[in-house]
Amino acid sequence: MIPLQYELILSAMLLCIGLYGVLARRNGIIVLMSIEIILNASILNFVAFSSYSGDASGQVFALLGIAVAAAEAAVGLAVFLSIYQTHGTIELDKIRFLKW
Amino acid sequence: MIAFEWLVWLILLFPLAAFVIVGLVGRRLPEGGGHVVVGAMAGSFVLSLYVFIQVLQQGGLGGGFASQTIEGYVWIPSLLPENSIKISLLIDNLSALMLVLVSFLCLLIFIYSLGYMHEEDGKPRYYAEVSLFATGMLGTVSADNFLQLLIFWEIMGLCSYLLIGFWYSKPEAAAAAKKAFLVTRVGDVLFLVGVLVIWNVFGTLSFGEIQGKMASLYPNPLTPQLLTLIPLLLFGGAVGKSAQFPLHAWLPDAMEGPTTVSALIHAATMVKAGVYLTARAFIFLVPLSSAVQPPFTAILVIAGIGGFTTLFAATMAVVNFDIKRVLAFSTISQLAYMFLGLGAGAYIMATEVSRGEATNSAGYSAALYHLFNHAFFKALLFLGAGSVIHAVATNDMREMGGLAKPMPVTSKVMLFGALALAGIVPFSGFFSKGEILSVTFEAGAENPGFYLLYGLGVGTAFLTAFYAFRLWFMTFHGTYRGHVHPHESPPVMTVPLMILGGFTLVSGLLAYPMQGFGNLVFFGRAEAGFPLVGIPLSDYVLEGVSMGVAVLGLALAWAVYATKRVPAERFTASRGGAFIHRMLTKRYWIDDAYDAFGRTVVYGMARALDWFDRKVVDGIVNGVGRAGVIVATGTDRFDRRVIDGAVNAVSLETVRGGLRLRQRQTGQVQSYAWVVVLGIVVVIALMFGLTFLQRWWSGLGR
Repeated sequence: MIPLQYELILSAMLLCIGLYGVLARRNGIIVLMSIEIILNASILNFVAFSSYSGDASGQVFALLGIAVAAAEAAVGLAVFLSIYQTHGTIELDKIRFLKW
Repeated sequence: MIAFEWLVWLILLFPLAAFVIVGLVGRRLPEGGGHVVVGAMAGSFVLSLYVFIQVLQQGGLGGGFASQTIEGYVWIPSLLPENSIKISLLIDNLSALMLVLVSFLCLLIFIYSLGYMHEEDGKPRYYAEVSLFATGMLGTVSADNFLQLLIFWEIMGLCSYLLIGFWYSKPEAAAAAKKAFLVTRVGDVLFLVGVLVIWNVFGTLSFGEIQGKMASLYPNPLTPQLLTLIPLLLFGGAVGKSAQFPLHAWLPDAMEGPTTVSALIHAATMVKAGVYLTARAFIFLVPLSSAVQPPFTAILVIAGIGGFTTLFAATMAVVNFDIKRVLAFSTISQLAYMFLGLGAGAYIMATEVSRGEATNSAGYSAALYHLFNHAFFKALLFLGAGSVIHAVATNDMREMGGLAKPMPVTSKVMLFGALALAGIVPFSGFFSKGEILSVTFEAGAENPGFYLLYGLGVGTAFLTAFYAFRLWFMTFHGTYRGHVHPHESPPVMTVPLMILGGFTLVSGLLAYPMQGFGNLVFFGRAEAGFPLVGIPLSDYVLEGVSMGVAVLGLALAWAVYATKRVPAERFTASRGGAFIHRMLTKRYWIDDAYDAFGRTVVYGMARALDWFDRKVVDGIVNGVGRAGVIVATGTDRFDRRVIDGAVNAVSLETVRGGLRLRQRQTGQVQSYAWVVVLGIVVVIALMFGLTFLQRWWSGLGR
């Protein structure tokens, strides 16, 4: 059995990778993908703690999280598609129309 | 009792009706309504004569007619019937005599006016006013109580103002009218105060009731002080009306009115009202009962002012060149004689009353006798002077002279008047003036001060003769010095003069066949049985003295102004003489002093009050206003600065904060993400830090 620590470390690494992607990359699709990675990091935590404590409710949450992630990816892609159609770009530092 | 007593009301109503008629429609009547006024006055005279004869028949000769009140109506009702004020007429010996005297002289003067005022404008005004004037005087002498007397007295005051200022477009006349009104007002206020005091003490104003209540109210609430004060206040009114020192200043200036008005004021009305009032005040001066201590101080004041004024005014008459002013000063002087007589007579009577003796009203009678005689000869002198002024169109005696030839009638009647004024036997002035002086001398036996007053009176008799004949010689003797061609006046003017001249000759003698004038106007006391002392020629020495000094005065006037053997310039050339002359022409500087008083004190007070008003009162008002403005400015500033400032500051800071904050809203999603991440990091760091601290603390505790 894989010890809990390894799983948590993997999860933290995923989180950091995702954060990096969200904060540093300019492509909106990449940012969306990085958010997915962060989400998956948390789902991995749910699963790890579920198997560690022998409680199935964590796995139920993980399934719910996957479903939410799917919906989120769909909405996110639709938003970016729409932005691309109106502004011709999905470079995040060019998309400034939510500005004051 | 007087039969048909309602007729007495008509004496007043005739001239009053004439006043109303002439005042309303005088313009449309011939002679400005003069005939209406003369007719009304004639009616008054006839009725007055009727009343007078009734009074005489029913006891005037025997002294039996006490008095009759003709009840009128209740003017001011009161819960207590005896306290209500009625308008009623009083007929007694005094008022009957005054009524007939006033109406007769007014009648003559009004007839004379028809000629004298013929060419004047404003005749309706003149006739209406003189008619009201006559009403005032008739009402004054027939009033039953002091309030009614005061009302008619004030009507006269108003009319004198209007008539003295008849030529109101002349500044001197307007000023003289104002002066007359204001100066007499001083006296009138005293009179009014006196009436109020009487009301307060007695609860009634009727002469008869007051006289009856005296004994029961003395000495409480009628204290001796009040008994002295009341006649003095009434006498204050008389001083104003009769132009006695120190309120004499208005009378000489009153000469600015038409001469007929002067005659009216001086002979029959106005100034005589003061003497009449003082005669009425005898009810206070001479109490009925010997239990009441008579107010000797008040009596002495009356006699003293009389004695002083008589000489005082006579000296000023000596130097005047205005024919009417000489007569005006003479009036003051002669009225002062009357007050002297009243004072001396009251003193003798009061002494006798306090001793419980029978009284002798000789002084009272003598004074009223002089009033009676003076009325005739002063009317004569004024109307004669009017005739002269009418002829030569000037008042200045220096521009007259030698008028005896062109004006035979006027000059002769004026000679009669001058002789009567001087007191030369057998003219009327001799008897009454001699009697006043005799009474004054007799009073000296009770109080030596009266010897001094007697001396003043004798000195005045000398001066009177002197100035009376100075006037006559300067006007009618010598050569004419004027410019206008003189002519005798028309009969409408000379006939009244001749009638008056006749009276001047006989009015003195009239009293003797009637057992003395005293029987006519004695001051009745309720106690019967005292002898009616008339005007006796008992003391021939005293009469001789007054006659002698009069002859001396006449002789001096003859020497100075007729033969010019003693030139007047010699007197005025000497230093002392020049000073006296200047002092007299300046009227002892009293008028100047009054003017100065008015200018400095009254104006000063006015100015002080003005200053007070402007600076203090206005200052307070302005200060309050300014304080309001300051407070308002303060609140305004507070409102604008603080409250608005706070509101504005809040909104401004909100705006500014918003402006600053919105710059953080970059629209850069990733920078938001940075904030979120940093926030998470901080939260985590805090959680770890706090957990660590907690552990550490609990570790230490263990």
